[in-house]
Amino acid sequence: MLKINWFSPLLPARSGIANYAMQVLPVLAKNHEVVLWTDQDQVSPEVHEIARVARYDPAAPPWREINNGSVSIYHLGNQPDFHAGIWRVCMQQSGIVVLHDLCLHDFFYMLSVRHGKGRDGYFSAMERWYGPEGRQNAEVFCAGGLSAEYMAQKFPLTREAARNALGVVTHSIRVLEELNELPACPVAALDLAYAAAPEPRYRTWLALRDGAPYPPYRLIVLGYLNRNRRLGPLLEALAGMREREQFRLEICGQLWDESHIREQIERLGLSAIASLHGYLSDDQVEQKLSAAHLAINLRYPSMGEASGSQLQSWDYGLPTLVTSTKWYASLPRDAAAFVRPEHEIADIQAHLRAFLADPRAFRTMGARGRQSLKNHDPENYADAMTRFATEALRLAPRVSALALARKIGNDLTNWLPAEASPYLLERVSKEIYTIFVEGRRG
Amino acid sequence: MRVLVVTSGVPFVRGNAEILAENLTDALRAAGHAAELFAIPFKHCPPDRISSQILACRLLDLTESCGARIDRIVGLKFPAYLVPHPNKVVWLLHQHRTAYELWDHPTAGDLIAYPGGPVVREAIRQADRELIPEAQAVYTLSKNVSARLRRFSGIAAEPLYHPPANALLFSKSSASDYFFFPNPIDCANRQWLAMQAVALCRERVRIRFAGNAGSLIPQAKSVNKLKLSDRVEWLGVLSEDQERDLYANCLAVVFPPLDDDYSYVALEAMLSSKPIITSSDSGSPLEFVLDRQTGLVAQPTPQSLADAMDTLWTDRRCAAAMGEAGRARYGDLHINWANVVEKLLC
Amino acid sequence: MVILIATVRIPFVYGGAEILAEGLRRVLIKAGHRVEIVAIPFKPYPPQRILDQMLASKLLDLTEAAGMRVDRLIGLKFPAYLIPHPRKVIWMIHQHRQAYDLWRHPLSDLDKDAHGEQVRAAIQCADRELNALTGHVFAISQNVADRLRTYCGVDARRLYHPPEEASLFYRAPAEDFLYFPSRINPLKRQDLILEALALTRSKVRVCFSGPASEPAFERRCQALVRAAGLAGRVEWLGMVSSEAKRDLYARSLGVVFPPVDEDYGYITLEAMLARKPVVTCQDSGGPLEFVADHQTGIVAEPRPAALAEAMDELWEDRPQAAQWGEAGRARYGDLDIGWDRVVENLLA
Repeated sequence: MLKINWFSPLLPARSGIANYAMQVLPVLAKNHEVVLWTDQDQVSPEVHEIARVARYDPAAPPWREINNGSVSIYHLGNQPDFHAGIWRVCMQQSGIVVLHDLCLHDFFYMLSVRHGKGRDGYFSAMERWYGPEGRQNAEVFCAGGLSAEYMAQKFPLTREAARNALGVVTHSIRVLEELNELPACPVAALDLAYAAAPEPRYRTWLALRDGAPYPPYRLIVLGYLNRNRRLGPLLEALAGMREREQFRLEICGQLWDESHIREQIERLGLSAIASLHGYLSDDQVEQKLSAAHLAINLRYPSMGEASGSQLQSWDYGLPTLVTSTKWYASLPRDAAAFVRPEHEIADIQAHLRAFLADPRAFRTMGARGRQSLKNHDPENYADAMTRFATEALRLAPRVSALALARKIGNDLTNWLPAEASPYLLERVSKEIYTIFVEGRRG
Repeated sequence: MRVLVVTSGVPFVRGNAEILAENLTDALRAAGHAAELFAIPFKHCPPDRISSQILACRLLDLTESCGARIDRIVGLKFPAYLVPHPNKVVWLLHQHRTAYELWDHPTAGDLIAYPGGPVVREAIRQADRELIPEAQAVYTLSKNVSARLRRFSGIAAEPLYHPPANALLFSKSSASDYFFFPNPIDCANRQWLAMQAVALCRERVRIRFAGNAGSLIPQAKSVNKLKLSDRVEWLGVLSEDQERDLYANCLAVVFPPLDDDYSYVALEAMLSSKPIITSSDSGSPLEFVLDRQTGLVAQPTPQSLADAMDTLWTDRRCAAAMGEAGRARYGDLHINWANVVEKLLC
Repeated sequence: MVILIATVRIPFVYGGAEILAEGLRRVLIKAGHRVEIVAIPFKPYPPQRILDQMLASKLLDLTEAAGMRVDRLIGLKFPAYLIPHPRKVIWMIHQHRQAYDLWRHPLSDLDKDAHGEQVRAAIQCADRELNALTGHVFAISQNVADRLRTYCGVDARRLYHPPEEASLFYRAPAEDFLYFPSRINPLKRQDLILEALALTRSKVRVCFSGPASEPAFERRCQALVRAAGLAGRVEWLGMVSSEAKRDLYARSLGVVFPPVDEDYGYITLEAMLARKPVVTCQDSGGPLEFVADHQTGIVAEPRPAALAEAMDELWEDRPQAAQWGEAGRARYGDLDIGWDRVVENLLA
């Protein structure tokens, strides 16, 4: 049994990770002692029912209490509001780092700019992992000469997030490899946890869907809608189709730039087709999803996240349009419809026409999506996570040994000439190893 | 033999461990050996510097000087007892306690309050576990320390007792009407418990405390409520001569600390041929006091201690006999520097 | 102030460095400071071990002690002066000379070791940190300061200090012997004096005192005594008490002290305090800062014939010897050698 210090956004925080936590924590709390650490002002009552919630001040974490636990699990993502405090604790005490986004350039940039520490932290990180080239690009970026999207893809800074970690959990191992950001510590590749609704409930949703009149077919876009959700191209695609009258587009969720979208809808003459619903309650979301026929879950560029909304759409047996990039590109070919980033509008239109031509094929696609949720069972997820944490703890002394060796090695470069190094380095390594890990006994 | 006594020290701090190291070095010389004392500086905070200092000790070389072998080193404290030597004996006064039983102590626990604390704790434990057994022999200060060493590090070690300072100057004089409660500087000594006991005594026992009532900070206000001013006396800071005198003339020594590691008080009482009233949770005194033979072991409650005090107050002959038995026991225990030197060098 | 003196102690060796550290400690305490000596053990062989102990020094932490900030760390010897501290002052007794002026010296072992070069490079590299301590590097003599400049480019100021119990030295009427107090070893060159004695005109007598620790050298000296028939003219007193030593200084005609490149040389100062002339050599190092040739003693070439001349000169002109002795005492006064000066400089 582990005593887990869990650091993540918690409801009512508007973060997909808070929802994910609600999937995983009940399982974890069954078999382990869990303390939920938060720097939020509010935490929903339903969270309190799962495990003890403890507050911390990121400027002065209560180490006495934290050190009662055996391992800390830190959840990182791009939003500094949700993750800055967690990162601060994570930097001081090694633990398991769960990377919900893999491209974290935005996070590290905003962290240093927003939290008043100046840009030095960000520049150091860029130089640490990408050398002088990284630093130069960082400077150009700060001067406005490069886009954030470019920086995020070219300099993801994933390894920065893993710097102190005992182990890293990712939901998109292939992406991590493609980004070339595999950290030095052990890595666990897990399928993002999602507890599928029980069959009876699912059938209710299907019944609701079939019960409502169609056409028009209801397209749904759901979640925290930034620019990378591709609303623009979607609206353009619809506007360019004669068949657009057969569809209704429900845009549900907090919009990055509501007035801009409204303006675009009007300009494109889609006012009768597209509607904005803003942030919805859970009940309202359920209503919308159970009435929808096709979910549009485009992301470009992706930050390497695994999408909870995708799994949610599958929960409702919804077919989805996804962008063929990063994690989404790894989804089963028969459980989603793929849109190429460089042919967005054309591909969207092609899929929409295909849908009209054969709605049942898309329905099957949705059913297959729901089936693949088996791989995302929170029980398996929690079990894999804790086994990984246990193993990482076992290897933890090596991390400390390496850290000390690195520090001493650095100091030695000030006075130890290369010729004399092999002897002393070997001598010191042996002793450090003995002190931290094991020795020459037996 | 050429012997080095190696200990860890904090500059400007001279406590019992430092005095012991000096006495050991003197005893080695008195036994005809060439002996020197090295105190390697050790700073325990910030905790993330501890591993470096362990490493520093491991890098020292005490095997020879000027071409002549150093026959043995005796390691006393962490991390100095980790200095490598093919012929090392560890006389473990104590390990780095906040990595062990004092980890979560409300005031003493320091590692637990640091983010890197658990890592340092593991390193200290691993280093002890791995490197103490390099020694040819391991002894400890007392059974308490041996028990902890076995429990935490899986290492078996015998206690090796040593005499208090100026052991030869203790003696018996009279057996006057008072109990003596000496005061080593340690808040776990429980004078308060003894005072509560006095309030419950049937007899009009008197007790004289070394030190000042003001040091009983948490309970100071309650002291007056007990209305014991005619039975309790606070003697202030005492010179060594004054202390020995109080030992020499008391009826018995009352000393019920909480889990003490090594009680010079118990030994001083025995050297003064006085019985000791102590408690079943006192730790070190229990290694020396034989219940109802050289003293009384009470429960750690005011009533139980009061009963013990009443017993000795009324039966003076018994008290005297126990005192003599205590003195004899001291002899039987071979608590002298010659014995220490013999064990450490054999 | 809270002050720590960082030095090195070789187990079972008690010599000049210990005396100096202890003297400094007492003087600082008298000046009202809290002072302790931190002595780390040092075994300078085999050469690679030196690297271990350099690193060990750098891993120690003396920035605070017993809840007090340590205001100053005074480093005296290698490698203890490598212990890090933000307010460090060096009063260099000597560096690890085998990496510098004794490199390739017949008596040195560093250059003869397979790893000698690497270790030497490391020592020199580490010593470069002294450059950062400008204004805070002192040396016990000009000799040591000069070596620091020559080999490390470090600007060090000489800072003399008195020998132990300086006020207890005295003069008595000169008797028929020269006095040579010193550890009996090749660097002190008792053999050179024996060879010189074989060549003197007069029947010069020399008393040697001091511990012997090099059997081979002792045998050489005995052989020289036998060969030149000097048995009646030399006396080997071994270790003598401080009083006995002062008595010998007092009654001697003069002091003979011809070491090789000595760092400092308490003996020279003790002779001056006892108002006695000193015979030393041109390559003796420290003593040359104090002995003025043919004014307070004689600075001879390091050859038996030259030393024989010198000893004869003292032996045959007693009034001149006495006068040089007095001049030596005056010179000591002129040099302002006092602990006050030391404290002032180290704590500035």
